Amino acid sequence: QETKTVTGTVIDQNDVPLSGAQVKVIDKEIFSVADFDGNFSLENVEVGDVFQVTFLGFKAQNVEVTQQDSYQINMVEDAGQLDEVVVVGYGTQSKQDVTGSISSVKSEEIIKQPSSTATQALQGKVSGVNIVNSAAPGATPTVTIRGLGTALGGRNPLYVVDGVPVSDIQNISPGNIESIDFLKDASSAAIYGVRAANGVIIVTTKKGKSGKAKFGIRSYYGAKPTLNPVKMANAEQYVTYFNEENDAIGGDRLSQDQRYDTDWYDEVTHIGSVNNTSFDVSGGSENIDYFFSYDYYEEEGLLIGQKFRRSTITNNNTYKLFDNRLKITQNLNLAFRDETPKPFGIFNTAFRQSPLVPVFYENGRYGGAYYNRTTGEATYIAGSDESIGNLTSHGNPVAALNFSNEKNKSFNIQGSVTAELEITEDFIFTSRFGARKIFVRSRSFNPNKARYLANDPTRTEEQFEGLKKDNPENTQYANNSLRFNSRESFKYNWDNFINYKKSFEDHSLDVTLGGSKEQIGIGMTDSYTAYDVPEASQYWSIKHATDQYDKQVNQFSYTPTNFLSYFGRLQYNYARKYYLTGTIRRDGSSTFQNNSDYWGTFPAVGVGWTLSRENFLEGNEVVNFLKLRGSWGKLGNANVPLNTTQILTDPDSGSQNYVLGPDQDLVFGAYIGSLARNLSWEVVEELSVGLDYELIDNRLSGSLDYYRRNTENTILEVQPLLNSTFANRFFDHGAEVINEGVEFAVNWSDQIGDKFSYNVGANFSYNHNEVSNVQRNYDGQLGGSTGLGGVSTKRLEEGQPLGSWWMYDVEGVWQSQEQIDNNASLGGARPGHLRYIDQNDDGAIDERDKVFLGTYIPSYNYGINISLSYDNFDFSVDGYGVGGNKVFNGLKNARIGGENITADTFNNRWTGEGSTNSNPGADRDIQASSYYLENGDFFRINNITLGYTLPSFSNFIDNVRVYVSAQNPILITEYSGFTPEISGYNPDNSNAQGPYGRSGLELDAYPLSSTFLVGVNIKL
Amino acid sequence: CSEDFLDVESKENIAAEDRDENFVPEDFVNGIYGMFTEWPYAFSYLGITEIISDNGDKGANPGGTGADKHFLDDLNFTSTVPSVEAMYTHWYKTIGRANYAIAYSELESTDAEMQKRIIGEARFLRAYTYFFLVRSFGAVHIQGEITFENGEPVIDPEADLSVRNSKEEVYNYIKQDLLYAMDALPAKSEYSTANLGRATNGAATALLSKVHLYQENWADALKYADDVISSGEYSLEPNYEDIWREYSENGSESIFEIQARGEPIAHGVQQYSTTQGARGTSGWGWGFNNPSQSLVDAFDAQGDEIRKNATIIFAGEILWDGREVSSSVENPRYNEKAYSSANAGAGDGDKNIRVIRLAEVYLIKAEAANELGQTDVAETALNKVRNRVDLNNVTGLGQAELRKQIWEERRLELAFEHDRWFDLIRTGQAEAAMAADGKDFKEKHNLFPIPEDQLIQTPDMPQNPGW
Repeated sequence: QETKTVTGTVIDQNDVPLSGAQVKVIDKEIFSVADFDGNFSLENVEVGDVFQVTFLGFKAQNVEVTQQDSYQINMVEDAGQLDEVVVVGYGTQSKQDVTGSISSVKSEEIIKQPSSTATQALQGKVSGVNIVNSAAPGATPTVTIRGLGTALGGRNPLYVVDGVPVSDIQNISPGNIESIDFLKDASSAAIYGVRAANGVIIVTTKKGKSGKAKFGIRSYYGAKPTLNPVKMANAEQYVTYFNEENDAIGGDRLSQDQRYDTDWYDEVTHIGSVNNTSFDVSGGSENIDYFFSYDYYEEEGLLIGQKFRRSTITNNNTYKLFDNRLKITQNLNLAFRDETPKPFGIFNTAFRQSPLVPVFYENGRYGGAYYNRTTGEATYIAGSDESIGNLTSHGNPVAALNFSNEKNKSFNIQGSVTAELEITEDFIFTSRFGARKIFVRSRSFNPNKARYLANDPTRTEEQFEGLKKDNPENTQYANNSLRFNSRESFKYNWDNFINYKKSFEDHSLDVTLGGSKEQIGIGMTDSYTAYDVPEASQYWSIKHATDQYDKQVNQFSYTPTNFLSYFGRLQYNYARKYYLTGTIRRDGSSTFQNNSDYWGTFPAVGVGWTLSRENFLEGNEVVNFLKLRGSWGKLGNANVPLNTTQILTDPDSGSQNYVLGPDQDLVFGAYIGSLARNLSWEVVEELSVGLDYELIDNRLSGSLDYYRRNTENTILEVQPLLNSTFANRFFDHGAEVINEGVEFAVNWSDQIGDKFSYNVGANFSYNHNEVSNVQRNYDGQLGGSTGLGGVSTKRLEEGQPLGSWWMYDVEGVWQSQEQIDNNASLGGARPGHLRYIDQNDDGAIDERDKVFLGTYIPSYNYGINISLSYDNFDFSVDGYGVGGNKVFNGLKNARIGGENITADTFNNRWTGEGSTNSNPGADRDIQASSYYLENGDFFRINNITLGYTLPSFSNFIDNVRVYVSAQNPILITEYSGFTPEISGYNPDNSNAQGPYGRSGLELDAYPLSSTFLVGVNIKL
Repeated sequence: CSEDFLDVESKENIAAEDRDENFVPEDFVNGIYGMFTEWPYAFSYLGITEIISDNGDKGANPGGTGADKHFLDDLNFTSTVPSVEAMYTHWYKTIGRANYAIAYSELESTDAEMQKRIIGEARFLRAYTYFFLVRSFGAVHIQGEITFENGEPVIDPEADLSVRNSKEEVYNYIKQDLLYAMDALPAKSEYSTANLGRATNGAATALLSKVHLYQENWADALKYADDVISSGEYSLEPNYEDIWREYSENGSESIFEIQARGEPIAHGVQQYSTTQGARGTSGWGWGFNNPSQSLVDAFDAQGDEIRKNATIIFAGEILWDGREVSSSVENPRYNEKAYSSANAGAGDGDKNIRVIRLAEVYLIKAEAANELGQTDVAETALNKVRNRVDLNNVTGLGQAELRKQIWEERRLELAFEHDRWFDLIRTGQAEAAMAADGKDFKEKHNLFPIPEDQLIQTPDMPQNPGW
């Protein structure tokens, strides 16, 4: 057949020639590269040959040679992973040029899983990022990037929303987020210096794009039942258990003939709900791009009456002036939150309260944990010569729910104005001012009198009135108290930087230099308490309170933290083959004012090598892209407590105050809590290597990373020696924390025919955490209190991971008194109690026999995502799992006596010699032990969604998609409690989270719920 | 200018360098007193002074252990029980506050007279606290004192926290403090009324007398007891039960007591009354620390109705203030000396805790005189205490018998005033008394174990024998 020469031009969508595009005839040794004008020519081709045009960042195109001699190839940009732009600090970068480790998530992924905070939806989606969720409405998930490196410094990553560094993104509606970039390694995070040690999460909100106005409406509604309810013992089982316990300790017996059988979980929980509706409009013209959205999110929790609502308004505009030489971008986000919280402790009480207690007695009074010691019946009524005992020491959960009357409202304004001035083609100067202002107001009403009456059904209103009269100044006997809290806080940052970009021949250079000034935590709080306001809530104001009691006012200002920073970054590459990135940030932080020097310097370097551009791989059929990366750097964690020696005073009844004189007037005193140590920021040094690949026509892509992070000077909260001068814990650098891990992500996507396409992705992260080099006298920090008898479950120790479990190891159950007498036992051991291993063989069981039994932090987590689309249908499944962690079932463990148990605990209990050697009897001690420490591995289907996009039916409507979705429908776990995923989040206790708090300890953890929802997305 | 931007001023708490503007040395002394009103002084203190003894039973219900009160009650506690650790720690932190207050007074006082008093109060409270430590643990570490260098407090670097000073050294330290305090402190009547409740010359003297009693320096014990009695500052309350009424707080018999007021905002001893209040419907407390049958029997053996009824609330009883204690409360007896009429169940109790009162000084005098062979003096002092509660004069007993009688008198007069356990140990009666109460007292129980958490952090510190 006759051969000929064909010519052609390669251009992109904007008719720009693509110089360097490769043109190759398939199965022949004929190829060409497009010249500066995009022109190429191929010699010796035949009609019927197919040539492929490839250019990085564009979809490959196959063109068949016809009779025609000249071709115009219109290349289409490839939305494939590697050609995305990622947002790095103070700039953007093409993903393929990155030398650090950055994971990006786009809008579609974020909105797939309904959530109030975007990070909640990303669990299992990003390798190297561990997200622990709580099902509580409005909860903040715990986000840990590449392992926990701090014992008590700030554990949260730094969030940067449209250039504004903030501590959280609760005020941002997930639907308004365009992308989230996780800067995981030192090379990419170092540009944020002293605040980057926990990783940096960059959030970019949506902006308008040039073109006609587009409208979008999204809405869904879902129901949220408890996923994994625990079956509690019923009245009959409870009585048997109670009697067995009391037989052992010489207590009373209950009668099997009881009037009530209350399921407390049924009484305090219901099926929650979630609803989210949003509207947005966007578009752009020559001079202005605009985006506006309104978003309403509402969630009702499992606890009856618990509610979270948020409205957000987002408006992002870009003004383009002087032929695009000056661009001014304005981002504004307003968020209104409105919450009715309920105490999480109710979950705890509902578990423990006896089923024999009624919600209400017949006379309408709240049920209490009383029984008649003579008749054994659960009642508060005693005949003559009869006495009343307590079944449990817990209150009525329904009363607790009803008496909790709190409202929180907050208003959050956040935004930035950025001016980008193009000085020359190569030089861009950027100035940005960002700020955030938060107003929070809360009101709580406490019905003292009702609580007084509810605590004991024999009490009367007259008694209360009597006490009130006898104690005219004692606010405990006010009918009620009303408390208002308000807080406002402000932060701002002002950044100025220049960017210089230049390419000459194969060299390209990108330099960013700048400075930033920032002040955070400016604000104040005040609170007012008054007593005896009218019952009707419309009169709940300080004005309507009685003057009988002193009103209390408290007000103070926060100490702000100031930062001054200078930063620079140089990126160089040769022919997009060899990459070098150097970053340096110098930070001054006011937190370290006791130091001679406020300043810290955080350098990082990154190198990259794109192997696929080397001759030996170029044009390889299998390997489309392959890049090796390596980085080293130092990061800081400045989020540590202010280190000044403070004199502690208290306007109220603190331990430094005393009463003196005949009227015992309060005299105020003071004391030193602890002497400040010379604290500095925590420094993390990280070494990281990784590789990115795209194989088999870009269908298989992914990355693989290894890292080793060492927090060189971890700050510990040191418990002073018992016999030392000062009592308060103090902070000091005292250990190293090493995190070492691997993470990988892999994704396969393909299309079969023109109707069916699918995508399968998986990621896996493994992390080993270890505390090392603990300073003498500094280890031993205890944590994870079960709230009973001073029992702790965690302890800091060299060689162990952070948040290590520390408790007795169980070797069975005491079968007989004789056995106890002849072996080492815990004081007060009785048959049926758990038997602990005498680790040091000293013949006694005490704290010295406690052992380390792993940590609550998973050593690995993984995510699996599958999505399919066929014609107008789309279907996706996301799964998430963790392993290598232990969780402590505190609900099962912490029991003084008389509390209810689960049906399983009842059925498996020890009932006498020889009955079982693995489960304790009804009489048992309150110690923490390996018996209650359970495997925390789980796998959960996070999301199953089926969607259908309606065929076009109107010119007016672009697109309508309806879908049904199930969140958390399936949980696979061996754990016997409600959920093995326990972040420790509790809005009433900000210290509950963290390695030595209640993370991993189920006590008042929020049960996990599933969500079944339907939704619709409309585009106009 | 950049440094200025970073120099942020602390706003929540007052930074130490700003203290002159706001704090006077007296504030830090008030801060020591405050320690005696803290939670350990309610519950842990009950455990190691009363529940452990033959006077108090754990109480509450069988399952209600109060963390470790069952271990203490049954004498099968270990070096890890929280009550012992809580008191050990609390005592050292009290001493720490005293050390700081003393150093600060030395640095900042402008008025020499005032400075002396402030330091005297601090040293009295420090001595009182070391006295607890030495009685509980024997040889204990003497905490490094504080000096100010360049305006910064510095703790004596010589004092190694893992070293235990000898018992003798600790006692000498206590005595030096008390001698200073005796000299420095005004008498009770010399204080302005607004200062009622502060440590006095009489308090220091009485405590010094008691310290000498523990050291068996009979002559000194007698001498200081006499100083208190003859000071003219104190007299016995005519009615025994009045001692625990609100109106007799800091009354004529009171030498030193911990001040408490229940109404907010004020300050009381955290839940001292609540933990010991009657339990169950119509009750007001947790029902711990019940008077034992053994104590009831001891009262009955002496025919001592007045003190029995003033000390014990019996279920079903109508109290002096008209409160009916239901017969259906969970325990048969409760501690009446801890009962507060006005706010029985409040967190901040209004009950002043009597630390030293004149009757005890009489009993110290009686014991010391008896040991010195001054039988008449001993009998007169003893009978002064007995006569108030309508008990017969004791006369004509031999020295040994009289000694026993004085010890028994201490038990009944001072029941539930946190003296019994230390008294049992001091007098060597513990083994027999505990055996009579069905408890197995071993040699090691003469001292509490050093808390395990201390030894974990200072592994060089030796444990007490047997623990």
